[in-house]
Amino acid sequence: MIKGYAGRILDVDLGNRSFAFRPLDEDTARLYLGGKGYGTRLLYDLTPPGIDPLGPENPLIFATGPLNGSLAPQSNRFAVICKSPLTGGIGSGACGGSFAFGLKKAGIDILIVRNQSATPVRLEIDGDRDSVTFLDASDLWGQGARATQAALGKGRNHAVIGPAGENLVLYAGIVSDERIAGRTGVGAVMGSKHLKAVSVTGTRKLELEDPEKFNDYTKWLRKLFRAHPVLGEKLRRYGTMGIVNTTNARNILPTRNFKLGHHPDAMDVSGEYLEDHGLVGVKSSCIHCPVACGREVTVEGVGRVKGPEYETAALLGPNLEITDLRWVNEWNELADDLGMDSISLGVTLGFAMELQEKSLLQSGLTFGDATGISAMIRDIAHRRGLGNDLADGVKRMSERHGGADFAMHVKGLELSAYDPRGSYAQGVEYATTSRGGCHVQGASMYFESTGPLTIDPQSLRLKAEIPVVQQNLACAINSMVLCIFTTYGMIPKQVHELDPKSRLYRTITYFFERSGPMYRLITKLKLRPLTWFEQWLTYVTGQTFTSGHLQEIGERIFNLERMYNLREGLTGADDTLPHRMRHESTFPHLDSGHPLDQLLPTYYRIRGWDARGVPLQRTLDRLKVRT
Amino acid sequence: MSITVELTYDLAKALGVRRLELEGTPTLRQVLQATRDSFGTEGATFDKLTRVTALVVNGVIASRSQDTPLQDGDRVSFLKAAAGG
Repeated sequence: MIKGYAGRILDVDLGNRSFAFRPLDEDTARLYLGGKGYGTRLLYDLTPPGIDPLGPENPLIFATGPLNGSLAPQSNRFAVICKSPLTGGIGSGACGGSFAFGLKKAGIDILIVRNQSATPVRLEIDGDRDSVTFLDASDLWGQGARATQAALGKGRNHAVIGPAGENLVLYAGIVSDERIAGRTGVGAVMGSKHLKAVSVTGTRKLELEDPEKFNDYTKWLRKLFRAHPVLGEKLRRYGTMGIVNTTNARNILPTRNFKLGHHPDAMDVSGEYLEDHGLVGVKSSCIHCPVACGREVTVEGVGRVKGPEYETAALLGPNLEITDLRWVNEWNELADDLGMDSISLGVTLGFAMELQEKSLLQSGLTFGDATGISAMIRDIAHRRGLGNDLADGVKRMSERHGGADFAMHVKGLELSAYDPRGSYAQGVEYATTSRGGCHVQGASMYFESTGPLTIDPQSLRLKAEIPVVQQNLACAINSMVLCIFTTYGMIPKQVHELDPKSRLYRTITYFFERSGPMYRLITKLKLRPLTWFEQWLTYVTGQTFTSGHLQEIGERIFNLERMYNLREGLTGADDTLPHRMRHESTFPHLDSGHPLDQLLPTYYRIRGWDARGVPLQRTLDRLKVRT
Repeated sequence: MSITVELTYDLAKALGVRRLELEGTPTLRQVLQATRDSFGTEGATFDKLTRVTALVVNGVIASRSQDTPLQDGDRVSFLKAAAGG
């Protein structure tokens, strides 16, 4: 077996309560690494087209990669793959915490859970004994993620669902420690199987090809990360909420259901404000992470809990015209404990408020008024009353009540908290990303709106190229499986110290904007390992990885996801942005929104797809994508 | 003509206000100077806290031409790079 892998897939059938260990396929690992890539390959091969995402045929795949179980910083993540009940296409989530580490210690690369149990069940996996125990989980059914994990104890690593997953909320997530695989409804799929929790234990050691070089390099890198202005300073000090004031200044902070991109009091939900008002500690619940971006806050009646991330603060804050951090903290904690995606939740609440405003639905929820929101979040998780409606997300709500023009989703997945009207590359990324309107499948906005060296976010230059390169890279990272935050370290400290008003800054961005095909060519080069992703993989597996290899693997995964979506009935017409994003302007100098129609043909061409967004056969052949 | 200047968190903390409403400052350069003046003898603090920032007008970076004329009601912000998500 290639080093870095445990070499085993655990295949569990909840219907007849059986299990089997199967060998990991080396060829597939070479082509798709692991994590999201390997998981997508399995999903494609194991399922026929058109299955019900909440039916027994939909497998729930927990997948690690070659770096999980090592000491690589931010290698604590696992991917979850299934057909999404929210989008009908590829469903995937990634989660920190400790479950990935536990799986690898148990000698398991991938866990496939098939079929459904008739009654609530939980799994205990012992990797040392090669055993799987099916236990009654009736006593835990209805419990929140926090209480469930407390009841399961500290001796094992857990992945659990809360009431939202049990009640098939279409944006329910899977929780490990205080982190959540939130997007695309993977928790609802786990709930449909009546699977409350998976606990895993083991003491196996991961074999590395060159452990000495790996350890020396990692030790050096930890120092580099600690001294880095983002990883060692900003994220460490302010968490991800440290970006609020930046997106607000850029006019891309979702406000009033994305009607606006700026809120005058957004500062009150920023990381800087939190540091001075209510921060009680730093949460570093992800194993081996030197960054510790998690915040710790106090919620009345609950105690010290993990605080909100940027997305949550923005979408449960200014997006609802709320800037009282105490409310945001409370709703964030509720979403985490009930086990649901706070991004989709925030967008859905904002949509319900605008429906109320336009008299399309008597939701009782109004912008700027916190009354009733806590109760509504609980009702969503338990599908009670109007909560049952909101539990289906904005796409389905707009089909029932109208308001499609301001239903903020792509492919059914609610938009993340970067308004693409002031971040054109991010808009192309939202429109084309396989799982829908998500920001962590590329994070293109870093190059045009939020990072230390940004090009003009509203010119058309490089706005099709950046998403392609970033989506490919993100696919590879999500298959190793690493936290995408490590990519921030790729911009050296010196760049962060450049004054945006300086001639040098302007010169660099001028040439970067105009680099076009050269930019893509450089990223495709297969010279030698440069970044830590490439170095780590090389030291762990013994195979040489370069930027070009990662782009190729990522492109392969992205195209396989695309083929899965096409197989399930999605088309190029789904590569779009909400009407509001394309036709309403939030900038006084523009009279329209995002110019997606001008950028999409270029994006398709770069991808090697036809005009309808279908990968050409020669593209699939070049990438060795079997369909 | 009224211009709103939104301060960064650090600037706001140092000055004790979050935003300034300026009258009669028709260019970005004048806005910058008026904002610095509002720090009185603490001008060095202002310089330090704005060293690696861009100037943004209504969400669009404008630091390339500080003589750009402003319009009544424009919002000027100081932009700091950040990361997160």
